[in-house]
Amino acid sequence: MRYALRAPTYAGLAVVYAYRWTLGVLWGGRCKYHPTCSQYALDALRHYGLVRGSILACWRLLRCNPWSRGGVDYAEKQRLFR
Amino acid sequence: MILGSPLTPLEDILRNVLDWLHGSIGLSWAWSIVALTVIVRLLLVPLMVRQIHSMQNLQRHAPQMKELQKKYKADKKRQQEELMKFYRENNINPAASCLPLLAQFPVFISLYLVLRHFSKHPPPGDLSWLHGFVPNIAAHASSHWSGFVLLAIYVVSQLVSTLLMATTMDKTQRTMLLVLPVAFVFFLVNFPVGLVIYWVTTNLWTVGQGLITRQMMPKPAPPPRRSSRTPPQEETPPEDGARDTATVPAPAAAPAAPKRVRRKRKKRGGARR
Repeated sequence: MRYALRAPTYAGLAVVYAYRWTLGVLWGGRCKYHPTCSQYALDALRHYGLVRGSILACWRLLRCNPWSRGGVDYAEKQRLFR
Repeated sequence: MILGSPLTPLEDILRNVLDWLHGSIGLSWAWSIVALTVIVRLLLVPLMVRQIHSMQNLQRHAPQMKELQKKYKADKKRQQEELMKFYRENNINPAASCLPLLAQFPVFISLYLVLRHFSKHPPPGDLSWLHGFVPNIAAHASSHWSGFVLLAIYVVSQLVSTLLMATTMDKTQRTMLLVLPVAFVFFLVNFPVGLVIYWVTTNLWTVGQGLITRQMMPKPAPPPRRSSRTPPQEETPPEDGARDTATVPAPAAAPAAPKRVRRKRKKRGGARR
């Protein structure tokens, strides 16, 4: 039952892994943040579920632009949902 | 259809741009796709310039970063963290950021949707390319031998562009890079030829950009001091900020400007002998 409830989260995780194994490798993307964006997405999804995790991941992606400064940024340390 | 709904606005924009390129500029549909690709990549050029700058900045600080890496050799995680902190403190942008890469993805999907629409409801005008080399850009790549030629070009351009762009990678990543484009062919075979044209164009652009960047950027050459007999100079950090500014006011603002040895055009012809 617990696993059934977490099914949406697993779907989200699957999407991230799919990205990692295909386009992520192809682009050889290096991220300017410490846990890379995909790792951040995985952490966020595991910790906060599909909805909040996705929002966090999207926000992170938006921050990972050429004008931001990057740095160390863990999903668990987020301040969006408290 | 479900996939299309959030992307409908973008699809409409793409369709409009293509219509404009075809109708007003007078390009064929295939060339319109090429032009569209070029436009997308042109829009991304400022990001690229920014990245080149940060790469140069990165090279300037390379020795200090090496030291950090050595210091935290045992703890990979800590090492990464310290490096990131160092970037932040020195205002360095490590080369890539995720957003520009992902920004191309919606464009790609939207173009796919537009072309799918084309194959169902062919627009007025010629859908062939290069005098019939590609009979129909809305058809699947596997429907004509030219599709396979394009796919071959795609694989080669993909390999070259990724190898050019990715400078640091380990062995598994490298092999993945060699295998993946080939694996992608099996997907792309079922895609409209126009999409392959987009992909090939964007790859070729990446290759060209990479080559130009290489020309512009000084090679990450080992510091020239290393080979000389003089003992390795320690970069003495300014002991006191106040005193330092009093003695050397001007150069303090730009520490360790890259001593680029300009020997580019030095006696190329060798006529003086």
